[in-house]
Amino acid sequence: MKKSISYSLVAVLTLVAASVSFTSCEKVSPQGVLMGNTSVDDRVMQSLVNFSSLEVAWDKYLSDTIQEYSFLVGSDSHITIDPGRLEEMLEIGMEHGDLFYCHLGDLADTKVEYYNNTEKALRNASEKWMDKYLLPVLNEDGEAYVDTALFVDPRTQNIYRKDKYNIFPYTIPFYPVVGNHDITHNGWALYSRLFKTSFYEFTIRVICENDTAYDRFIFLDSANGTLGKYQIDEIENGFFQRDKKEIRNTFTFTHTNIFRPSLTEFASTYCREELYYILDKLADWNTTIAFWGHVHAWDERWFGGVHHITMPSMNFVDHPNGGNNLLVRVTVRKNGDAIVEPVGLYSKQRSKEELEAQGYFTTTQ
Amino acid sequence: MRFKLIILTLLLIVTTGTAAAQYYSGDHTFDGENKNEVSLSLTSGKNIIVGPCIGNTLHYKHYFNNHWSVDGGVNLQYTKQLYGIKAKGEYHIKLKSFHIFASAEYMFNHYHRFNTQENVSNMSLRFERGYWDVTLGGSLIGYNMMGDHYTEPLTLTFGAHASLRPRTHRWNVGLLFRNYDDFYYENWNINWGLDFYYRFNPRWKMFGEFDIRPAGSMSQLASKYETIGKVGVIYRWK
Repeated sequence: MKKSISYSLVAVLTLVAASVSFTSCEKVSPQGVLMGNTSVDDRVMQSLVNFSSLEVAWDKYLSDTIQEYSFLVGSDSHITIDPGRLEEMLEIGMEHGDLFYCHLGDLADTKVEYYNNTEKALRNASEKWMDKYLLPVLNEDGEAYVDTALFVDPRTQNIYRKDKYNIFPYTIPFYPVVGNHDITHNGWALYSRLFKTSFYEFTIRVICENDTAYDRFIFLDSANGTLGKYQIDEIENGFFQRDKKEIRNTFTFTHTNIFRPSLTEFASTYCREELYYILDKLADWNTTIAFWGHVHAWDERWFGGVHHITMPSMNFVDHPNGGNNLLVRVTVRKNGDAIVEPVGLYSKQRSKEELEAQGYFTTTQ
Repeated sequence: MRFKLIILTLLLIVTTGTAAAQYYSGDHTFDGENKNEVSLSLTSGKNIIVGPCIGNTLHYKHYFNNHWSVDGGVNLQYTKQLYGIKAKGEYHIKLKSFHIFASAEYMFNHYHRFNTQENVSNMSLRFERGYWDVTLGGSLIGYNMMGDHYTEPLTLTFGAHASLRPRTHRWNVGLLFRNYDDFYYENWNINWGLDFYYRFNPRWKMFGEFDIRPAGSMSQLASKYETIGKVGVIYRWK
């Protein structure tokens, strides 16, 4: 009996030790092998509270001014001390005139310094974005509101208060989803301070030839390899159908992939029944394009009438010299066609000295 | 001549008995007598897609000899609206103190709720000693839904199990982790479980299992996907 217990204990401890040591690295929380520390249910509950208070601010694209538009999508930037690839993405979007940016998660590895640098990059880009797009709001006498510094984006008619001390958390229209690396080491605390919500949506009203159309953008939290019960309940209770608009295009964004680009990449981590649930739901929503991240590799396929794009990572580790398809631009034409084109990123990682000179944190705890 | 024949027959009987004793490593192997086995189980639990769920599984296994066996099964998950069948062939050999099982399996699952048909082929090797076993293999999983088909690249199959008593004991309790179960093969999703059995006599046995399936894998493991319990009986006959 004693011998049998010893054998069993040794076997179990070996299995646990093997599992933990296999994943013990800076990017992966060792204790998360057995049980991590933020669940998708907690995040979605918190997100819905934040979303309901932010909803007016998020619902920014309902003016009668948008006919055609484009947006940029990137994934898995895994920012550490150098947020250069994110800066490059934001620059490219401004040069081209993209209406907004989407990011598929694993934005920054979870250290305070990395998030501080990420926030700084977003704030810097917000300053440039405001300088490029915003015009002063004029009063009845045709003069700018000097005291309140109100500005308008003529593309969307959205009003902003242009004050560099008042960019909180940032102004540039950057819409991320949360990834598994964003939540390790209790990273949700860092992520949610900047981005507030992991489960949200917005709609764009587009003026077509003789009519108005609506395009919907859905952002799902799959950082734990599941949507979780709470998010699924919200979806089933009609979270995305609550305003009864007739939708022309639906675009979905989430971190964990469904399709596996090749034998050498990680497979999907959704349990099988949930995997089929998600594919079925995307078809229900009449999804035009579903974007996925997580595996750091490109995959493009049509399944069930949905165009699925799994994005490569945009970080320096995987692509030190960049690559010509690390981003995707989607241009939505007046007739509703969504045109996909790859966009390259080529910036090189900066030295510590260069980063320090630009005010970034370069030492980590 | 007659004497030699008797000696030879006796030797053959003794050898067969010895072989059976050597190859018997618990009630998942041929006991040298009962070649047929049927098991019926009730499963009940809860997952994030359907909430509480209930179902039955039925298995029939036939041992041809110490080495070869075939197994067929039916899975009826009423709440999940998931119905499956499977067939499995297994070859068992003993190498020194290891029992090695090589198996090939085909499984078909119909997920009625999502009108999805799933085909799974699996080949695995299980290495087993008295208190523990390890399984390694590969699965090809394909599915049809909404008029389209997708076959996933080859997926690793892995599992490990450790038990408190030797496998031949009348009762046992064990711990397991694996990315498969009787009626599914997953990718990286791990099923953590506690199982037990109690043998009333050489023919009747009851068994049970309690499994927790967290969603995702590695750093993603913070959210529950499913908890499920299974209890059943096994009957063996000649």
